[in-house]
Formats: sequence, structure tokens, C-alpha cells
Amino acid sequence: MFGFMWKYRTLYLISIPGILYFLVFKYLPLLGSVIAFQNYNLFAGFSGSPWVGLEHFNRMFQHYDFLRILRNTLMLGALDILIAFTAPIILALLLNEVRLVLYKKIVQTVVYAPHFLSWVIVSGIFTGMLSPSSGIVNVILGWFGVEPIYFLGENSYIRTILVGSGLWRDVGWGTIIYLAALTGINPELYEASEIDGAGRWKQTIKITIPSLLPVITVLFLLKIGDFMDYGFERVFVFQNPLNITNSEILDTYIYKAGLKQMQYSYATAIGLFKSVVGLFLLVIANTLSRKATGESLY
Amino acid sequence: MRKLFVLATIAALSVSVMAGCSKNNNEPSKAANNPSNTAAHNKPEETPAAKPAKFSISMRTLNVPYVEQNPDINKDKYVLALEKMTNTDLDIRLIPHNEYQDKMIQMFATNDIPDVVQGSGGISGQELAGAVQNGVFLPLNDLLEQYGQNLLKLLPKEAWDRLTDAKTGNIYGIPEVLSNPSRRATWIRTDLLEKAGKQIPTTVEETIDVLRAFKELGVEHPYMGRKNFKYADTFFGSYDVFGYLNQFKLFPDGQVKPSFFDADAMKKAIGTYKTMFDEGLISKEFATIESADFKSIVTSGKAGMWSMNANELPIWGTQLMTNVPGAKVALIPSPVGDDGKGGYAYYNPVTRSYFINVNAKDKAAEIVKFFDWMVSEQAELFFSYGIEGEDYQNDGGTIAYTPPTDEAGTNKQRFLNYWLWMVQDTTYNKRIAELSEPGKQMVDAFDNLLTKEGRGGIEFDPRLEALVKYPDLSPLSDQLPPLVLEHVLKMVYGKESIDSYDKVLEEYLSKGGKELIEEATARYNSKENAFE
Repeated sequence: MFGFMWKYRTLYLISIPGILYFLVFKYLPLLGSVIAFQNYNLFAGFSGSPWVGLEHFNRMFQHYDFLRILRNTLMLGALDILIAFTAPIILALLLNEVRLVLYKKIVQTVVYAPHFLSWVIVSGIFTGMLSPSSGIVNVILGWFGVEPIYFLGENSYIRTILVGSGLWRDVGWGTIIYLAALTGINPELYEASEIDGAGRWKQTIKITIPSLLPVITVLFLLKIGDFMDYGFERVFVFQNPLNITNSEILDTYIYKAGLKQMQYSYATAIGLFKSVVGLFLLVIANTLSRKATGESLY
Repeated sequence: MRKLFVLATIAALSVSVMAGCSKNNNEPSKAANNPSNTAAHNKPEETPAAKPAKFSISMRTLNVPYVEQNPDINKDKYVLALEKMTNTDLDIRLIPHNEYQDKMIQMFATNDIPDVVQGSGGISGQELAGAVQNGVFLPLNDLLEQYGQNLLKLLPKEAWDRLTDAKTGNIYGIPEVLSNPSRRATWIRTDLLEKAGKQIPTTVEETIDVLRAFKELGVEHPYMGRKNFKYADTFFGSYDVFGYLNQFKLFPDGQVKPSFFDADAMKKAIGTYKTMFDEGLISKEFATIESADFKSIVTSGKAGMWSMNANELPIWGTQLMTNVPGAKVALIPSPVGDDGKGGYAYYNPVTRSYFINVNAKDKAAEIVKFFDWMVSEQAELFFSYGIEGEDYQNDGGTIAYTPPTDEAGTNKQRFLNYWLWMVQDTTYNKRIAELSEPGKQMVDAFDNLLTKEGRGGIEFDPRLEALVKYPDLSPLSDQLPPLVLEHVLKMVYGKESIDSYDKVLEEYLSKGGKELIEEATARYNSKENAFE
């Protein structure tokens, strides 16, 4: 074993910074999760804070709105996977079919661009567009005789707005990996299929998608791990008391109940719950995927 | 070559490990070994030639452009002038305005605490994260007695009370005060009022009448609304139902409850907003209007009546008149409700406060003297006008000073008047206000109008434990608690009926409100850190 390591010592040496990075910045901070089982006091530190066992978890499950918040989180997570995960695949396939290179480049740049806007700006743009008095959406609806709708003031529209704004911002960015994978497909496959008389549609179904499948699986598994992490900022910027019933998720609740009230232990307990659920989903999905397709993360 | 490579790798690794693990624990010890500490042992009547007292101080930038755009505030000429006058050597550590609470907590968690910490209120403020209770700061009673007589004399008792631990009588901080806690005012476009042929309204009904007239004139926002009724809570004030953090009331049944528990008055207030909403006197989308939109709508002349801090009058007034020629604006008495009173929620009498680190014990005397100087006449001249001979001329008591008109100049003025002047009555700067017409109007409004209005109540500091436990019931300093706010907004938007407000109160009680009221009543009765 050590002889083996000595033989490839340079490689091992090179890997040390990466390993240390994960140890120092990712694994060591994990130990901080113990405060979920304490009543953490900033000045007493880990060692001085009293242990309270599962009290914070109990408090979370007993919160009168816990089920609603959890349901919102799951709903948004599911919608995100259903729409925001599949859209970049479709877009990448469509872009791949574009023959005019200049046009393709322009489209790509245009769809990437919003990714670099912060959520605060995205929410500003959407609030403006959806405004009942001056927003373009309501102006267009007005042409068809529809009364102005206060989209952000309705519980029923908020999920669509959240998913839609995320789609607009990140769909182009999501295509990058797929486009890279698409260029890696062996052109001989296409040539051979053409000789066999396959059209573009057949080629897509029989060659392109199967070739992309490993990438899709890996990205899907990574996404599943983040199932509960819809993101704090992107929801918070759209929230107001009129849509809170459907827009409150665990991330925003952690902010309000935990960080704003300085209940660090409580916030950590909720965060830990989220992470454990995410890990659980990841393990299940990974096992299923390994059995079904042979593709897996580990 | 290989050895060099290995060495370099190891060096890089140790740096990265240190970066990950460092918590800046060395900071306090560094401060303690500071050679300038010896200066603190000197007698108070030392000559100015003594070595300057060196200490660090954390200060929130407060969105003051002069501070935020300054490449190095410690080398700023006004800071240097201040150091010269007080024989100190400051190390100002800026805390970004918007991340204030996070950064403060980080500061405490990493034990990287400067000699002086600026808080923003009493001893239990959230930004302090319980530092006072955990013995991070020095009790100042003896020091103030010895070196801070001017502070003790000039700052009001209400302010000191906020910085005193009621149980031990220890004073932990030096307050910057607000002598007039009524800070927000009702603003109206008097030119529109004249155009509509209306008098200045006094009651809620008259006000609604004026708003209707504004609407007929084609004013887009007769009353300017804003998200969560922030700066748009005029009519909750008329009926005295704010229910904010400092708006608890002793009810006839002997219980201390948030003031919105007066259900009849609350229904009237909600009804007023509903009427305004239905008739288009307030924007249909006020629930998503943010502060920046609020300001741009008002200063571009699209609003008829609104609520804003009175000390903004010179600035907003000027902007409005520049954008809309012929526009005139005035501060008027806020509409009164059934009890003949009105106005906005009082502010905390302490705006900023300064705490001294126990590790800076050696220099505490010098630090207290530094703050004591802040209330001297020399300080008043310096912080009002700037450096003598450069910014203003002092000819044997007659002061020649031209207030700046350009942006850089007004920014500098704001910095001196409100930021660098650490301890003062921050209601308004009298010397500067006297120099301009809107300034005089503002002083007049503060002294003759705002002193007569405003709503106060009982406040608990440290806050009630139930408020921390039930965040949905916890109001802000100027917002209803989320649970109540949600229903109130739905009522205004016509999604729930106003008559169901009693059910909202029941829901409030069942979701922790009962516990909250019991705690509030008990604390009020035992006078335990309850302020009126």
C-alpha cells in the first residue's frame, strides 16, 4: 500500500491541496451542526452551551405551519425538477439543431445573459412586468379584454412566478454542460444512421438522447441532493403577505425564525433536517439509477 | 528542484489551512499589548502634548455616501482633525449598513471585538447578540462619574435608562439621543390642496375627502402606499392600533397586549384603508411597492399625501420642486381619530450607543473623555460646519458659513452632522437648519407640530421571550406582526371580511399570543425592563 503510494507520490502530493480544501472548508464546518442539539450561546461557544437533545427538532415539527411550509418546499422542489431541470435539455437539443452558426451563438448568449443578474434585479424586472397598472403582461391581457390581475398579490400565481423567473434566469446557463456533451458525440454515428435512412427526428431519439443520458443522470442525481434547497433569496425577493401562504419555504422560514431572531440552534436544526432529507433522496435515487441504468454518482 | 516544489506545496498548504481555521483570536491580545496603553494611566489633567490615546471603534456606515465612498476613513481629513482636537488616535472599523447585524454577530463570534463597539439602541439590541449580559463590556458608572460629567448632565435620563441594567444599576453604554421621538410626519402637496380648493384636513374623514379631491384632479397616488404599510401607516396611528414593538398597551381588563387588540378601533383603521383601496385613493399594488419606488413616485410629483421622516424635508422637498416646478409641500398635523389624536409610532430615544470592551479597561478613561468632548461647544462648531478657517470663518463669535448646494458638499455635511458626531441630540442640526428656508420649516415642524403628536406605548427591552419563540407574532419597530399583517392586507384587498378580525385575534391568541400576553403583563407588573 505505502509502496504504491510512494510510487505515485507526486500524484498524491498534487491531490493534497484538494483533499485539504474539502477537509478544512467542507468537513470541519460540518461539526458545527452540533449546535442543533444545543442552546447555542455565541459567547459560551460549543463547549459551554447547554445540550438540549432533540428539543429544536420537536419545536420544528410541532410548529403549526410546519406541514404547510414543508409542502410548499416539496412542491417547489418537484416543480423545479419537472420544469427547470428538463427545460435546459430541450433547449440544448433545439440549439443543437440550429444550422446557422451566427444565429446559434446569438441565441446562446441571449439565453445565458440573465444568469448573471442577481435575484433582486430579477424580482424587480418581474414585479415591473407583472404590475397590474403598468406591466406589459397586463397590457397584453387587456387587449383580450381581461381585467388587470395583481399576479404577485395572489397565492395562486406565486409558484408559477417563482419557477418561471428561475427558468428565465437559468435555463441558458443549464444548457452549457449539455451542449458540451453534444459536441462529444461521435459524428460517425450520425453518418451511419443517415446511410440507414434515419431523419433528424429519429437521430435525436436514437442517438442524441441516449448519448446524453449519462450526463443527464449525473446532473439529475446532483439535483436530487438539492431537492429541499430551492434557495432563500429567489423566494424572499418575491414574498409579500398576500402570497406568503404558498411561498413560505423552509429556507425563508429559517431566515425569519432562526437568523432574524438569532435562534441559531433552531435554524441549524431545520437546516440539518433539510440536509438529511436531501441525502436520503440522493442515496435512494442513486441506488435506483445504478440498478436501472448502471449510471451512478458513486 | 523537487525539494523546492515540496517546500512550496507545504507552504501553500499551511497558508490555506490557516485561512480556513483562523478566527482572528489574536486581535484582543494585540490590543492589550499595545504600547499606547500606558497613556491611559496618565492623570486626567495631562497636557495636550501627551501621547494620543489609541483605540479602535466599530461604526455602522448608515448609508452615508461620504463614508461608504471614502477610500480610507481613518485618513480622512475630518477624522484626523477630530483626533487632533481630542488627542486620540482612532482606528475606525466600518460595518456595512445592510449587513450590520450579521457582521456584528460575526465580530462577537470570532471574538474580534474592537475597544469601542457602536450599537444601535439599548443594551439588549439584537445586534449585540447578548454581549452585555455575557460580560463583554465594561460597566461605566465610575468612569462617567469621574470623566463624563458633561454627558451625564446633558443627556436625558430616558436615554441612560436604556443603557442601564435595571437589576444591577450598571450603565454599559454612552447614548446618542433623540430628544423628540416623534420623527415621522404627514406630508401634503399644498399646491394640489389649493387647486382642489380644500383646507388642511384634520380628521380621518376630512383627509379621505381631500384624497378624493386629489383623485379628481388626476393625481395618480392620492395617498402613497408602500409594502407592509411601512411609511404608510398614517391611519393605524389615527386609531392608535400600531401594535409595534413599543406599542403594547395596558387594557381595561388589566392585561398588557399589543395595541391592535382594540378590535373596534382596528376595524375602523382597516376599513379606512379598504375605502381608499376600493376608491383608488391608494395604489392597487401598494403591497409590492418598495422603498425606492416610493421615493421616486413621491419626488416625481405623482403622490398627493404621504408619510416620511420630517428631517428629510429639505432634501425631498428640494428634489420634488426641481422635478415638478410649482410643487409645494408642507408637513401637516397627522389625521386624528376618535380620541382627537394621531401621529406615528415613537422612535427609540437612543439612536446609537457606544460600549467599551472589558479588554480596553486601561484606556477606558480616555475613551470616556473622548465622548465627553462630543457635547462641548468646540465639538458643536466642528461637527456643524467643519474645520475653522477652511470650511467656515469664526470672527469673534460671528460665524460665516455657506451651506453647500452640490452633492459632494451635502454628503460631507451629512457625514459631519450625523455620522462623525457620535454623541449629540440627533433630532436635527440646529445650526445648519437655521441657514435655509426648508430647514427652518423643518425645525418649526419638529418643535411645534411633531411634539404634539405621535403614539407611544409600553416597550420591553430585552424583548419578550415569546416574541423570539413565535416569530409570526413578532412585530418590527414599524411593522405589524406577520400573522396580523397577512390578514389585514387580505381584508384591504377584499379577500377576507373586516368583520372576521375578531377571528384573527383568536388565531393570534391560540398560536402563542396567550403566552405572550401573560409574559407581557407579568413583566409590566413587576416593572422588569419595561419602558413607557
